[in-house]
Amino acid sequence: MRAVRVTEYLDIDLVSEQWVCNRCGFEIGSAHHPYKLGLLLRQRDPREVHPVLNDHPHFNFSFDPDWIRLIEFYCPGCGTLVETEYLPPGHPLTHDIELDIEALKAKYLEK
Amino acid sequence: MGRLRDRMVLLPGLVYDRHAYGKGPGRDPELLVRGVEPPSDLEKKGMQLFDDVEEEIFHHKMTSVVEEAREVYQALSISEGIITGDMNASIFTSEGDPAVVATGIYFHTLLNYAQAKYILKYYRPDPTVGLRDGDIFFFNDPTCGGVHTFDMFVTAPIFYEDLLVGWAEVGGHQGECGSISPGGFSPTATTRWEEGLHVHALRIGEHWQLRRDIFDFFLNSVRNPFVFAADLKARVATCKRIRDRVMRECQRRGPVAVMGGLRRILDTSAKLARKRLSLVPDGIYRAILFNDGVGTDEGLVRVPTTVIKEEDHMTVLVQGVSPENFKGPQHSTWHLVKASTGVYLFTYFFRGLAPNIGLLEPVEFLVEGPSIANCTEEVAHGEGTTIAAMVVQNLHVIGSKMLFSSPENLGVCAPFSRNVFINVYAGTNIYGYRTANFTGPQNGGGQGARFDMDGEHGCGFFWASVTDIGEVEESDTRLPLVTLARTTDKDFHGFGKYRGGTPCMEVSMAPPAGCLVTTRGASDRLSHNPGLFGGYAGPPNPRFIIQDTNLVELMQNSDPRLVFRQYELAKDHVIAGRYRFESSSQPTEPFQHGDVFVYSVGGGGGYGDVLERDPEAVMEDVRTNVLSIEMARDLYGVVFDPATLSVDTEATVTRRQAMRVERLQKGKPFAEFMEEWSQSQPSPEILKYYGDWPEPRVKGYRKPFWGLYDDPTPRRE
Repeated sequence: MRAVRVTEYLDIDLVSEQWVCNRCGFEIGSAHHPYKLGLLLRQRDPREVHPVLNDHPHFNFSFDPDWIRLIEFYCPGCGTLVETEYLPPGHPLTHDIELDIEALKAKYLEK
Repeated sequence: MGRLRDRMVLLPGLVYDRHAYGKGPGRDPELLVRGVEPPSDLEKKGMQLFDDVEEEIFHHKMTSVVEEAREVYQALSISEGIITGDMNASIFTSEGDPAVVATGIYFHTLLNYAQAKYILKYYRPDPTVGLRDGDIFFFNDPTCGGVHTFDMFVTAPIFYEDLLVGWAEVGGHQGECGSISPGGFSPTATTRWEEGLHVHALRIGEHWQLRRDIFDFFLNSVRNPFVFAADLKARVATCKRIRDRVMRECQRRGPVAVMGGLRRILDTSAKLARKRLSLVPDGIYRAILFNDGVGTDEGLVRVPTTVIKEEDHMTVLVQGVSPENFKGPQHSTWHLVKASTGVYLFTYFFRGLAPNIGLLEPVEFLVEGPSIANCTEEVAHGEGTTIAAMVVQNLHVIGSKMLFSSPENLGVCAPFSRNVFINVYAGTNIYGYRTANFTGPQNGGGQGARFDMDGEHGCGFFWASVTDIGEVEESDTRLPLVTLARTTDKDFHGFGKYRGGTPCMEVSMAPPAGCLVTTRGASDRLSHNPGLFGGYAGPPNPRFIIQDTNLVELMQNSDPRLVFRQYELAKDHVIAGRYRFESSSQPTEPFQHGDVFVYSVGGGGGYGDVLERDPEAVMEDVRTNVLSIEMARDLYGVVFDPATLSVDTEATVTRRQAMRVERLQKGKPFAEFMEEWSQSQPSPEILKYYGDWPEPRVKGYRKPFWGLYDDPTPRRE
């Protein structure tokens, strides 16, 4: 097995040790680093996605942008929405998956 | 431990592997953190009496005992929480570890054992207390091993002649406990002294008889003595039922075999958990959530979760948590965080394995304290479940990422809805007795989207798979309210390739005699229902009330414009009155006949990219009224005829391609994005309870990604 599918949209190529888009094959970056470094990032007002139901400035069934912003991560090859994060403005991003690549290779590469 | 775990840096001056409080009267937190007791000599002897087949038969028998006990308890109880499944029935080992548990709620599988251990360690050898057949003990103190004071339990030793072979334990969310707000939850409480009765492990009966003096003390300490009395007796009766059935097994197999069998069940669970863990890729995984307060005063707080998984072991590290602040009851204890993870782990990660404390033997818990996740004893912690649940939601996201490439990937899904919002109704019901409790739709949260299908609507309670929302007719008679509708809602779930489920939405009104309502909740400006792999989160869930309405008149006239759904009520204002949209953490307040309460616990998160959702599935959501035409068109990029809802397939492909191009144009490379992003920060007012920004416990520590400290000795200032 050369590639392991790690998420819905991300593979790791065990030979090149790269993150790869599962949809278009775009090489995103080193599997030893966060895949988010190789994606396109967009900050959005969460109210663009989550509809406001009433005219209250804060309690309207959507997110309050003063407290939380939506970040979308796109594959630069095909524009697939690979991941979302909801973070306070300026908060550090999440290095969500940090795999032990050597252990992964030992587990899958020879099979 | 392995090399990944060696990268952890635990901050000096904080605690991680134990509680932020120490011993006290009736309380020994060491009993909560040390895990399953080593088998006694008799247990070892009993374990030798089983092979795998006999163990399975025995396990099945004990499971049937607690499952029967659950039905007995629910049938006898008159508390809304118990009836709808917020409860448990257990058999503990002779050493006090929960071996076989019926739920209800999985965290009860992992709690309430320390009280039995406390009795064994301190009271059994004490001549003023002792321990005998027929003893009945009561407890509800969260610092001694429970959840919050409104969850009340009874435990009784199971003796075979003079030999202690195990314990029966039964309890759940009874509600009213003499706290400052009727019904238990007290959003304004800042210290434990405002949260009612705190009973550690008190013998309330002997020879299976309740003591009248203690019984009267309890009834005089709560607002709903009739309900309290009925439920206490129900718990005792259920414990007795468990005890009688275990005694029959002792007669059949011998008491030593029963002791060994119970202990062996835990060992088997631990072995199977290790095997499951070994199938998952080694690595470090992270997720994070924020809350908009810890009580009625709003302020951003942070709860991150890191999992370090190596071979057949994993460490759950909750570090970088906002400090405790004495501003409200949303403070968790160390043991509640650990136990709450069972909600996710037992349902999804360890799916198919018997849910008991043995499954957590290969899991290490490190919860930073003092903090809102591992608090000291004086702070109010009646709603600590909110904070513990944030760890669980983080773990759910992490677990799905861990499982995705494993053979156990059927458990991959976005988290269940956890934007808890509970109205507690108090007053006199139509039977004429005083009552205070919540209604069942808290058990109708939206399920998170799964890797291969949508989440179910109104599926269940975040805390418990085996619950239901109860019958409207019954809750209307037990509680002072009139239910108008229970339904789904529009645009109130996480969008994605597979969408989350919408919650069961309850719309009700105050009855002719009026009622008192206390509301507890969180997630009013933000959400605790994250999506997965590009799926969007379930939306925030503030309180929505309409007062001084013309509803009774509209109903008398059968006004056809009346639609009892949050979406229409909030947008169209068909009912005249004073519309209140506000924080869901609100003190007790009286309401009049016709005042309207709109209430749900939120929608589940979505899974995957919205542009990959089948256009016909989008149209079905529009047809079934859970998605608006605007969202179908603008977010999902489906081109369709609004009159017939027929999809223009070719135009949809073109439209979605254009939306992808727009993404590529608006997305920025990492460095460019960070240049702008890192300049922004919430206002000081929002951050007043957060701790230092952005890393709450280390001043001036800022990196593009949060996570393990890469400086081996970051200083706290």
